[in-house]
Amino acid sequence: MKLLLKTSILIIPFIIFSFFYLYLSKDNSYPGADYKNFSLPSFELKNLYDDSLISNSALKGTYLVNIWASWCITCRVEHGFLSQLDDNNIRIVGLNYKDDKDDAINWLAKYGNPYEVVLHDYKGSLALDMGVTGAPETFLVHDQMVVAHYRGEINKMIWNDVFMPLIKQEGFADAK
Amino acid sequence: MKIHRKKRLINVLLLSLLSGAGILMVLYALNSNLDYFFTPSELLAEEVPSNRRVKVGGMVQEGSVRREDSIISFTITDYSKTIDVSYTGIVPDLFKEGSGVVVLGYLNDGKVDAEKVLAKHDENYMPPALQDK
Amino acid sequence: MIADISHYLSILSTAIFMLTFSLVLVLDRSASHATLLIKRSYSHAFILFLISFLLYVYLALTDNFSVSYIAQHSNSLLPNFYKVTSIWSAHEGSMFLWIVFLSLWGFAFNLHNDSNLNVKNLSIGIISIIIVGFQLFLLVTSNPFEIVLPFAPENGADINPVLQDPALAIHPPTLYLGYVGFVIPFAYSLAFLINGNKSLDWEKKVKSWSVMAWVFLTIGISLGSWWAYYELGWGGYWFWDPVENVALMPWLAATAFIHSLSVASKSNVLRIWNLLLSIIVFSLSLFGAFIVRSGIIDSIHSFANDPQRGMYLLAFIAIILFVSLGLFISRFSMFDSSKNIKSLSKESFISLNNIFFGVLIFSTMMGITYPLIYELLYNQKISVGAPFYNAIYAPITILATIMLVASIDSKWGRPIDVKRGFSMLYISLAISLIGLITIGYFVGNMPFIIMLSIFMGLVIIFRYLMLIISNIVHKKYTNTPSALAHAGLGLLILSISVNSILSSEKVFNMKPNEIREFQNITIQFSELELLNKSNHDSIRATFSLSTEGKQFYLSPEKRKYFARGQITSETAIKIMPLKDIYLTIGEQLDNGQWVINVQLNYFIRFIWLSAAMMALSGLIIIKNIIRRRV
Repeated sequence: MKLLLKTSILIIPFIIFSFFYLYLSKDNSYPGADYKNFSLPSFELKNLYDDSLISNSALKGTYLVNIWASWCITCRVEHGFLSQLDDNNIRIVGLNYKDDKDDAINWLAKYGNPYEVVLHDYKGSLALDMGVTGAPETFLVHDQMVVAHYRGEINKMIWNDVFMPLIKQEGFADAK
Repeated sequence: MKIHRKKRLINVLLLSLLSGAGILMVLYALNSNLDYFFTPSELLAEEVPSNRRVKVGGMVQEGSVRREDSIISFTITDYSKTIDVSYTGIVPDLFKEGSGVVVLGYLNDGKVDAEKVLAKHDENYMPPALQDK
Repeated sequence: MIADISHYLSILSTAIFMLTFSLVLVLDRSASHATLLIKRSYSHAFILFLISFLLYVYLALTDNFSVSYIAQHSNSLLPNFYKVTSIWSAHEGSMFLWIVFLSLWGFAFNLHNDSNLNVKNLSIGIISIIIVGFQLFLLVTSNPFEIVLPFAPENGADINPVLQDPALAIHPPTLYLGYVGFVIPFAYSLAFLINGNKSLDWEKKVKSWSVMAWVFLTIGISLGSWWAYYELGWGGYWFWDPVENVALMPWLAATAFIHSLSVASKSNVLRIWNLLLSIIVFSLSLFGAFIVRSGIIDSIHSFANDPQRGMYLLAFIAIILFVSLGLFISRFSMFDSSKNIKSLSKESFISLNNIFFGVLIFSTMMGITYPLIYELLYNQKISVGAPFYNAIYAPITILATIMLVASIDSKWGRPIDVKRGFSMLYISLAISLIGLITIGYFVGNMPFIIMLSIFMGLVIIFRYLMLIISNIVHKKYTNTPSALAHAGLGLLILSISVNSILSSEKVFNMKPNEIREFQNITIQFSELELLNKSNHDSIRATFSLSTEGKQFYLSPEKRKYFARGQITSETAIKIMPLKDIYLTIGEQLDNGQWVINVQLNYFIRFIWLSAAMMALSGLIIIKNIIRRRV
């Protein structure tokens, strides 16, 4: 009786703990990543710098769309990495999200501008159409199709694990 | 076997039997009250009885939102299959065509009668520890 | 600069807590000079840590956005109150507060003098090493002192507007105070086991500490429920969300523990069970921290996902649990378990109810973990919702209430005397039956289980009422806290049942000046205004309602916050004696109508009133213990 009690007292928590260990160590590494394909919603937004209108048809080839804002701290964190991508000739379209125009321009002046072009989405309408829930988020677009979506900060690890495989596999040659 | 030993053995057996039965009952209650989470494709591929609560997640299809009196109906898509949903009540503030949604309800004639509609949250991300690249 | 000082003080405090633990290990724990040294060492460590936290509060108040955590969770436009509360709006800061509270309980315990020096010092040592473990967790995996380099952002982000609310600002601290308070009975029972002298009455010593922690937990849980009710706009008070459940489990265990403590001090049985319970209560509290902070469960409450944090916490909790269980088992022979409990005695009913508490805890644990097990095995996502919990909680609670009512007529240490009269029980049963029929008359058909719950709720209330009256008449002593808390339980069961059958809601599409009718309530949409506030724009709809000859206005709102563009709904609630009228406004339709939701929530205020009664009873217990000591 006592032995049974003693062992069961130890075994029950042991089972619970080993289960949580298994669950934590299982590979669910990138909950922010999403590979659903959908076509880039049509839009017409102003260029942040000169107010000229840019539509979806003007953006061709393979590029990243990065959702950012000057009020978003995490965007600052990933900004250095975006600059590295830019240095490696990765094309990045910036989508300035729910932000004040002057704040955004000052921000880029201060920290550098890695973007090929920056769209000013003041109301967040394009972002909403693309299923954005916050900033930062990053999309990989190929020939008007969104092929990958990452919610949250991107860094070297996420770039290599979430975006690079697609770029290599699909041979999006012009991304490089 | 001495009497008190015999008594003790009966106690042990009774205890194990009772706790076993208890655990089985909890598991039974669990199994008959699970909410399965499906995407529209998964839901259509599977045989789901109409008395089972399901959770369906996906995007609200563009142009699919209709209203009739206090009933709102819309289509959830995962970009390959779609499913129609109807709901009575106030949809959350972040509910919008083209954005993410999760509904909880019962499957009825290929449609979902939703009891609850949840939209995805709009909030800042926290960086997973500000580690260096 | 100040951020660095705050950071260093935390590190220094960790070192001194470690020193305190080492002192407990090496010194002669029964000596008075060693006791003094240990006491001082602990106090110094705590005061350094407290100063570190106060400096951190100062940093938040002065908008020091060079600290990355503050920059991410506060904003220069926030009122001072929310600048402070923003500290516990996310993982790192709330963990900081959690540990401050943990060490605060230890500090209070440290100040009080215990006649048994060895046990006191051992407890301080155990508390210190637990603090060290969590401080290292804070500093290594979730450092709140991280600096933003090279430039500090000017305004900071913001806390989620849904969280900018007084009830929510004090809900986490109260809950944390409850969780970590159980470190005292935990440490003390372990110290008792190490000390190995079974004549020591440890149950009596930890009672006031346990009741205090239980009071905080009770208040914390009900504040969360109240907030969810008026802020989320769903009109519910409990959602069986995993994070609510991890608060409920230690509460249930602690409730069982407090009951069982009194059994042990009255009849010297079940001491083994008490020791085990003290370990279970604290482990469940830590388990709550693990679930919320490991990101294992997707929930509105959970913090950012980081498997590394989860692993650290899991490992540390495993060490605490297995060391204490190992100790527990090795001292099993300290007690002779041959002393059996007499059936139909008061302690037998309490023991049975302990088993019922155990079943509820086990089922809740299953409800939380089963989706994870399922996902691991079948790679399919499932969730466990209210139907499962209702199926378990309703029948078990009814069984438990039967034991409770039976226990009122029972005696300590001997079976119920069947020959004596049960007139008071019969009278309460009769009154309750009349009450049930009256309610049934107004409600109509109801499910059997609800009928049974209403009946049992009423029986508890009337039985305790009769008890108090008869004690007053016969000039006998009444256990006031017990009567109050159990009447609170009766009220809780009654109001949850009535709420579940009577509450109703309806959705209307209305234009301004239109009128609708719902259950004897006339609702007129009288006005729609646009308001511009300092940090948000708002649409406010004003409705004129009239019912039962009374007329009043309700103004639900829809707000859009500037900082994140987040939209929130503000409900408008009219509190009436038996029900709440609960109004929320949805979106505007293409034809200009607005979607309006009207809910009638019956007896909802009594749910929180019953929680308040329980908390109050706890305070009375503590007051009585302190008075007896002085």
